[in-house]
Amino acid sequence: MKRHNKNIFLNIEGIKKLLIVLVVFLCSGRLVFAQDKPFDKYGGQLVFTTTSDPRSFNPVVAKESSTSAVIGYLFEGLTKTDGETLEVQPSLAKSWKVSDDGLTWTFDLREDVLWSDGKPFTAEDVVFTFNDLIYNDNIPTSSRDIFTIDGKEFKVKEIDQYTVEFILPMRFAPFLRSMGTSIMPKHALKSSVDDGTFNFKWGIDTPVEEIVGTGPYLLELYQPGQRVVLKANPLYWDKSDKGEKLPFIQRIIYLIVQNQDVALLKFLEGETDSCEVRGTDYPLLKPLESEKDFTVYDLGATFGSNFVVFNQNSRVNPKTNKPFVDPIKLSWFRNLAFRKAVAYAIDKERIIQIVMNDLGFPQYSAMNPSAGIFYNPNVLKYDYDLEKAKKILNDAGFIDRDGDGIVEDSDGNKVEFNLFTSSNSPERLQIAAIIRHDLEEIGLKVNFLGLEFNNLVAKLIGIYDWDAILIGLTGGIEPHFGKNVWVSNGQLHFWNPGQEKPETEWEARIDEIFNLAVQELDDKNRKPLYDEWQMIVSEKLPLIYTVLGAGMSAVRNKFENLNPTVYGGVFHNLEELYIKENYR
Amino acid sequence: MFKYVLKRILIAIPLLFGISLLTFILIQITPGNFFDTLKLDPQVSPQTIAHYEKLYYLDKPLLQQYLHWLKNLLHFNLGYSFYYNAPVSEIISSRLFNTFILALSAMLATWLIAIPLGIVMAVRRNRFIDKFLSIISFISLSVPSFFLAIILLYFASKFGGLPLGGMQSANFDQMSFVGKFLDVARHLVIPTVVISIGSIAGLQRIMRGNLLEVLRKQYILAARAKGLPESRVIYKHALRNAINPLVTIFGYHLSGLLSGAALIEIICSWPGIGSVMLTAVRAKDLYLVMASMLMGGVLLFLGNLLADILLAWVDPRIRYD
Repeated sequence: MKRHNKNIFLNIEGIKKLLIVLVVFLCSGRLVFAQDKPFDKYGGQLVFTTTSDPRSFNPVVAKESSTSAVIGYLFEGLTKTDGETLEVQPSLAKSWKVSDDGLTWTFDLREDVLWSDGKPFTAEDVVFTFNDLIYNDNIPTSSRDIFTIDGKEFKVKEIDQYTVEFILPMRFAPFLRSMGTSIMPKHALKSSVDDGTFNFKWGIDTPVEEIVGTGPYLLELYQPGQRVVLKANPLYWDKSDKGEKLPFIQRIIYLIVQNQDVALLKFLEGETDSCEVRGTDYPLLKPLESEKDFTVYDLGATFGSNFVVFNQNSRVNPKTNKPFVDPIKLSWFRNLAFRKAVAYAIDKERIIQIVMNDLGFPQYSAMNPSAGIFYNPNVLKYDYDLEKAKKILNDAGFIDRDGDGIVEDSDGNKVEFNLFTSSNSPERLQIAAIIRHDLEEIGLKVNFLGLEFNNLVAKLIGIYDWDAILIGLTGGIEPHFGKNVWVSNGQLHFWNPGQEKPETEWEARIDEIFNLAVQELDDKNRKPLYDEWQMIVSEKLPLIYTVLGAGMSAVRNKFENLNPTVYGGVFHNLEELYIKENYR
Repeated sequence: MFKYVLKRILIAIPLLFGISLLTFILIQITPGNFFDTLKLDPQVSPQTIAHYEKLYYLDKPLLQQYLHWLKNLLHFNLGYSFYYNAPVSEIISSRLFNTFILALSAMLATWLIAIPLGIVMAVRRNRFIDKFLSIISFISLSVPSFFLAIILLYFASKFGGLPLGGMQSANFDQMSFVGKFLDVARHLVIPTVVISIGSIAGLQRIMRGNLLEVLRKQYILAARAKGLPESRVIYKHALRNAINPLVTIFGYHLSGLLSGAALIEIICSWPGIGSVMLTAVRAKDLYLVMASMLMGGVLLFLGNLLADILLAWVDPRIRYD
């Protein structure tokens, strides 16, 4: 060994040869670089902040959306929703066809996909994901609720190695979109299903190498309370339009911070590349754009709603034999004129001004303005009009007869009720305070109380012990997924849940609309139905919508191909982004 | 001595049992459980939630749930965290070391600074340095630590130099060993200062008082009368006796450090058990709350026990038999 070394150093001829080889090698390397310029796109890292630790690396077991931000890059579904056009696009399935009756769907799978441990992805994995995981009674997962229609499951069958067939119990419009659900590797998980340990598989205590996916990134490191690091998956199948191998950015780091304020400071310090911007942060960030080299993107209305709902539950509490709602109050809450007066009395512009620093939108429709095709902009709009609110109230018999500023109903009862909201949300507490003030202007006495979240939920859908609540739901682009709120037997039909048969005509019509629309496979035919539903909601006001926040993000100017949208966020096309050379 | 320790341990068992029962009752009498957030998701059916509750034993009567937890505890199984989808013991052990680093650093800072300062103040009693340090210590005793943490973080964000919370930088994994050490040290500065500043002030006052008292003793007079140099009198004769009572404080200090750091951990984004405990309580992650409360109880007990043993060891006048 030693002699061999010596020889190389002593032999001048050898050194010359070595040099020539080296020079040729370097030149050719440089030539390749020069010709194949896109090669430069690879490299660099992206640093995010997140305010909570991931809670599982297992998408089937994960109970909440905060986890999906991190694990979304590790796994893929048969289809995906495009972050910009909101259309369903092929992912692990390259194409599909549907039978004429709309019940049998056949997917052709990509044949070039490898799991990150090198094993090929096949139809077996798809069948396993549905039959052994999602439809497994021993595994509690909310995915099962999406893929079960009227208590019936889909039949999932392997036709050949790269073809899968789904037979549905009835036509199901959101089917293709819902096929974005993560497909899991059979070879890595089968044994844990067999021995019953799947529920505890791939938790956050799992060594990162054990987690196998098909996504553009792999888990490289998880330090509890500190950071999650993802690295580019060298076996990833997808290519850019120009045929370049994706992804370009080699490492993604999520710093785990305690709250949004720390995230903001870290961004300003230059430690991170992107940061969510709240309305109140905007005046601080905007002037720093050029100095700190970033851009604030205004993406439009966010999906989380804020609405007031009145308790219209007429049933009797079986335990106490008393009505859930005091009959006097119930008669107010069931009075459409009363709800309309409330809708007109809420000053949405002022809420946006005070709570959201002028960066928000009034909400009128049950669908979100960012939801694309199903949003109906032509619903009834209740803009702030105090005189109109007072007149509606007076005409309905709510008149302040004794001049104490509080109206009485036609039987002489003073109109006074409680308004609850979640004390965990500072924004909602502020909104509720403004609403309380607004309603006092028209003579309604409101006792406003912030309740701890669990307590609020228990009252709202457990013991029905409430008058009015200000709350919100995270909306989406698929109206059918909100079904549980809108159909009259739904558990989340807040104002009057779990009705055996619809108590009002309009509720019956909404039930009908949801049943019809889910069976219409063409979005063009679904649209008029969902438009009608949004119109009914705005006429009957079971939920009184208030305001939506503006989705804003600040991003360092180091990325090419950036195309932020409110649905997908800033980084929905992360695998296609690359970092400008001088930022690496 | 052995008999005494055994007796203390036997007394501790019902105490810890009481702590766990009280914690359990307190969590359970507040309305709702961990799965309430899921109930507001239109895509999750009540059956699925019932399934979760069954899986985690939440559908059983309270007493049965408690006995189930107790039985698991005796098998050294702390239960399963709903929030983190992992065994509670994993969650706690993955963070305990970080808390330990911070606690150690704060403890070292406290004792290495407070003891010398206390000696200086006692020796130079009523001189300028004594009065100056007294004022400083009164100020630092009266500033709430969370407030100080926020002020320091504000200055760090305004003028740079120190990291804004956390324990490691984003590119920590690419650093050399020395680089990693320095990186953690830089992150330690603010939380350490905040945690130790109050205890430094307190401890130095105690040290000063003890030393002054000893210096008035007759044996010190005798030592001085013998013509010993003043430094010898102070460091050899007085200090040894003055430091004895501090040993007790050391034990208490030990037990308080892990829990006392929780608030600062949360403010400074330090990835210790403090922030996990807060998350657990807020999310009603039953078994994680139980385990962390129990751990606090055990540490308090061990700290006290250690203090008593140390005291007997250094002070021949104290015997437990």
